[in-house]
Amino acid sequence: MEAIWLYQFRLIVIGDSTVGKSCLIRRFTEGRFAQISDPTVGVDFFSRLVEIEPGKRIKLQIWDTAGQERFRSITRAYYRNSVGGLLLFDITNRRSFQNVHEWLEETKVHVQPYQIVFVLVGHKCDLDTQRQVTRHEAEKLAAAYGMKYIETSARDAINVEKAFTDLTRDIYELVKRGEISIQEGWEGVKSGFVPNVVHSSEEVVKSDRRCLC
Amino acid sequence: MFGRSRSWVGGGHGKAARSIHSLDHLKYMYHVLTKNTTVTDHNRNLLVETIRSITEILIWGDQNDSSVFDFFLEKNMFVFFLNILRQKSGRYVCVQLLQTLNILFENISHETSLYYLLSNNYVNSIIVHKFDFSDEEIMAYYISFLKTLSLKLNNHTVHFFYNEHTNDFALYTEAIKFFNHPESMVRIAVRTITLNVYKVDNQPMLHYIRDKTAVPYFSNLVWFIGSHVIELDNCVQTDEEHRNRGKLSDLVAEHLDHLHYLNDILIINCEFLNDVLTDHLLNRLFLPLYVYSLVNQDKGGERPKISLQVSLYLLSQVFLIIHYAPLVNSLAEVILNGDLSVFSSKVEQDIQKNSAKSSIRCFIKPTETLERSLEINKQKGRKKVQKRPNYKNVGEEDEEERGSEDNQDDLDKTKGTEASSKGIRTSSENEEIEMVIMERCKLSELSISTVTEQNTTDEEKSAAASGSEITNWNRPFLDMVYNALDCAEDDYYALFVLCLLYAMSHNKGIDPVKLERIQLPAQHAEERNSYNHVLAEGLIRIMNYAAQPDGKIRLATLELGCLLLKQLVFSKNGSIIKDVHLACLEGAREESVHLLRRFYKGEEIFLDMFEDEYRSMTIKPMNVEYLMMDASILLPPTGTPLTGIDFVKRLPCGDVERTRRAIRVFFMLRSLSLHLRDEPETQLPLTREEDLIKTDDVLDLNNSDLIACTVITKDGGQVQRFLAVDIYQMSLVEPDVARLGWGVVKFAGLLQDMQVTGVEDDSRALNIIIHKPASSPHSKPFPILQATFIFSDHIRCIIAKQRLAKGRIQARRMKMQRIAALLDLPVQPSTEIVMGFGHSSAATAQHLPFRFYDQSRRGTSDPTVQRSVFASVDKVPGFAVAQCINQHNPSPLSSPSPSSGSGSTGRCDSVTASSTSTPSAAQSPSDDASAPEQPQMTISGQTMLTDETLSAVSKSSKNAVKNSDIETANLSPSLIPAQQPTISLITDDNTDALSVESLTLVPPVDPHSIRTFSCILQSSLQSEVEVCKVKEVEEECSD
Repeated sequence: MEAIWLYQFRLIVIGDSTVGKSCLIRRFTEGRFAQISDPTVGVDFFSRLVEIEPGKRIKLQIWDTAGQERFRSITRAYYRNSVGGLLLFDITNRRSFQNVHEWLEETKVHVQPYQIVFVLVGHKCDLDTQRQVTRHEAEKLAAAYGMKYIETSARDAINVEKAFTDLTRDIYELVKRGEISIQEGWEGVKSGFVPNVVHSSEEVVKSDRRCLC
Repeated sequence: MFGRSRSWVGGGHGKAARSIHSLDHLKYMYHVLTKNTTVTDHNRNLLVETIRSITEILIWGDQNDSSVFDFFLEKNMFVFFLNILRQKSGRYVCVQLLQTLNILFENISHETSLYYLLSNNYVNSIIVHKFDFSDEEIMAYYISFLKTLSLKLNNHTVHFFYNEHTNDFALYTEAIKFFNHPESMVRIAVRTITLNVYKVDNQPMLHYIRDKTAVPYFSNLVWFIGSHVIELDNCVQTDEEHRNRGKLSDLVAEHLDHLHYLNDILIINCEFLNDVLTDHLLNRLFLPLYVYSLVNQDKGGERPKISLQVSLYLLSQVFLIIHYAPLVNSLAEVILNGDLSVFSSKVEQDIQKNSAKSSIRCFIKPTETLERSLEINKQKGRKKVQKRPNYKNVGEEDEEERGSEDNQDDLDKTKGTEASSKGIRTSSENEEIEMVIMERCKLSELSISTVTEQNTTDEEKSAAASGSEITNWNRPFLDMVYNALDCAEDDYYALFVLCLLYAMSHNKGIDPVKLERIQLPAQHAEERNSYNHVLAEGLIRIMNYAAQPDGKIRLATLELGCLLLKQLVFSKNGSIIKDVHLACLEGAREESVHLLRRFYKGEEIFLDMFEDEYRSMTIKPMNVEYLMMDASILLPPTGTPLTGIDFVKRLPCGDVERTRRAIRVFFMLRSLSLHLRDEPETQLPLTREEDLIKTDDVLDLNNSDLIACTVITKDGGQVQRFLAVDIYQMSLVEPDVARLGWGVVKFAGLLQDMQVTGVEDDSRALNIIIHKPASSPHSKPFPILQATFIFSDHIRCIIAKQRLAKGRIQARRMKMQRIAALLDLPVQPSTEIVMGFGHSSAATAQHLPFRFYDQSRRGTSDPTVQRSVFASVDKVPGFAVAQCINQHNPSPLSSPSPSSGSGSTGRCDSVTASSTSTPSAAQSPSDDASAPEQPQMTISGQTMLTDETLSAVSKSSKNAVKNSDIETANLSPSLIPAQQPTISLITDDNTDALSVESLTLVPPVDPHSIRTFSCILQSSLQSEVEVCKVKEVEEECSD
């Protein structure tokens, strides 16, 4: 039983170590917060289907680059073959918030001249008492980079679904409008098995993909 | 299927975690496995669930209970896994098992646990298991599994994977078979695995890699890269109207991926691997395909070729990314100094050995697939018949052995080359293939050594040539590079050449001696006194073309040209540029001034564009690496923005873009010119941060005009502030508690970016928005202030509105005047003066409404002087004339000669006088202006223009301006430092139209004093501005 999906989006999750990238991915792909091991159980890649509109499913392939950062060529390839990403920081760790800019710069270096659609995620929002980054300043930063901001908690399953689905919807809109288009040799977006002809009108025009600048 | 794969952790059936994570539970799981050794449709789910649970217990045991591992090993539980796999139990089980193993190995943290798991070769059995790789999921999880394992490799664990005795290294050899898999993620994983393997410093293993796998792998890899390049080239050549850009950008990105990967291997710095890789890259790809295509652009011929632009572009990328010295030096040597013989000389040298005409440096397909080569090698390894390793390459053992090998090679050679010259054919005879490969390696080894030989001889030669003269050797590649610099038609190729030269000279691996050959200094070169004239002239020509109205030079090309020229002519102790070159450059700069003048308009937008371009140029300086990542420059330069190509990488389209381009050309050439003359930039940017009032500055506001108001911000905040208007800024201050009459700035914003609107139903209120100038042309301006100001009554409100509106106009006008001065255009007086100044100066001078500290600060560099000037300006209550004198006499910098005091008063008066002149009177001097001996008269004419006549006269005066510029070209006035927008002092002497009064007060005509007075003039001009403003406010209030 092959799941039928309209598109496959490849996403990356980046951010400082310890911000909870793996937990977030795990929570999303399995619906369960991994308590089994500490340090967190590493994941390599997971995929899941998301239904953004009735009958329209998108397959998300989520990559965690943990462990490969040593080689520039590898990181580069990961970034380049992703259409979107979650940029995580830990709301209880100011440093991880300050590094958001570094992460964006790093991405920029790798994907020039294209861009990855990012959503800024303030993680561990269940630990509100230890908060070191206010929602306001995070929203301001996100606005400055033209991103959305969302606060999540993998432990309490707050907004985890929403973070991924919102991002997926945004990307889907861009794909639909032809601002991101499928390109042979690029695996950020792949066209899936279209169940019937209903969607044919939405087939993407092959145009200047990904160039959102 | 992924739905089912959830919940591997924790069991998820409501059972307490405690009971699941225990040795007992593992024992139970073992029991389940023993009962279900055969996979059937019925127990499939149970088995998968069991494997999952076992994995979970193992991860738990890794951290909590080592007895778990003991039991696992004792019972050989891995065998069950293998057994399940081998039953061809279908995709579902395969995927689950691979994923579970993946998670298991990823999460094992203790070395000992890992050793347990790896100890009895079961993992290797799983690696070599023939999965159904046509299944995407299986492929993905399989390669992920290998990657996870490779991340666990180190000097100890490598023994579990690499078997020295059997020459087996399944993890590596199985992985590299997928090096050209269509899925890029699989390829990435393969690269990760290889890099992780090379990184392990285990000599026997690395020797195995080199001897058994390096040649097949690298030759196939190089072929794979080359095939992409050919495809890329096709894409460029068959492109129509930029339709291929999407595909092209992917191919370019792919090439970059390759280069980064190669560079990552080279960085690991495993010497003998690098030798093999360098050899293959140079002799199988870079030289025969990239470099060879530089000269042989004629179609046809046997050798594969790519077009010139692609070749230059790719070579630039190579030099930007790869910094491995032996590779980049050999490559640079051939480009800068080699000739076509590098493609044939090897044959000549070998001719005694080998009569067959085979071109050694050739881009050809490997004779067999990688899988086959590996297979053959493996068999060879096992047959102990072999005396020595097949894929003998370089320096494994000592010299003598190599000598004996040579002899053997000679014997083999004839056969071997025959095979290779026949080209691509797969031979079933192992023996022969082996020889072919050996042959090639041998020859390339030789070729490397010849390159080094060449180096030394050439160094001697160049030393003899004593540098400066361009030798008449045959250097076709270099000639081609120089030729491509020519931009008479367009800069299509020139941009790539500049990139290539830039990349070479910034490459850390390149020996400066190599670059010295074309006298292009590396970044931090030693002292020297000559430079490459051919190159310099080429660069200056680019600048000349760029300054032409219809110049087809893209901004990126110009910027890069400027960078390179600076690098070229700058020695340790400053510029060594020849006068003649500097003169040419000045010519280009002059041209750029002329070009920009055509676009200079009084319109608001011009100022915004001018400042915007300056900002975006300084914020985003050229990044060559980014430039070379953009595939769009591979296609012929285009003008239309519809392509989505960045403005600097294409030609301008329409008037707005032409203006923007002219502005940028002006900035670049001006900056270059100043730099080469070692003069500081004193005029740009028009607004300097350090001159502006900033938040939390404490100002002396005694006698300043302040208007109290309530500021209500958008989010509802409400504060009491005093509004003060400065020349460029408005500020909101609150009283300083420490000092009476002083204020602390709570907000300061540029008047020029302000919008003031009345509030419909409240005559005491104003809406004020100040935008922060956009940091890039694409981003929206961001409001830094958006608030409603409420004043105590409507009169104060009107006054405030007046001041702000006038201040805005004035601030913009001041800046426009400064731009005019930069362009050597006649200064247009503030029409405010002319229009508003209907009354005698004596009457109006009594009221000076605004504090203008900025301009008087600008001329000075000493902070203490600044302060005092600042203070004195601030204190002056309302005596404009007195202020002119008092303010400047004590300032040492602004009054270098005793006459300056009177001069500045004189300015006040003379401007007053001139501005009272009627427009008709203004016309007469501008007629005189055409007289060549008095070019500056134009300026005096302009000073008296009113708004009404402005446009008409500026048109008529354009010719005169041009004349005067040609006359004064040597002066290049826009480069005179610290020149402020001035109303020329000289003209007063010669213009009858001016008042007698002004004649008497004007200092002698001397260019030096003109300059020194300029800032005085400026501030006195402002006084005038203030005066007329007061006037207007008065009028308005009295209405």
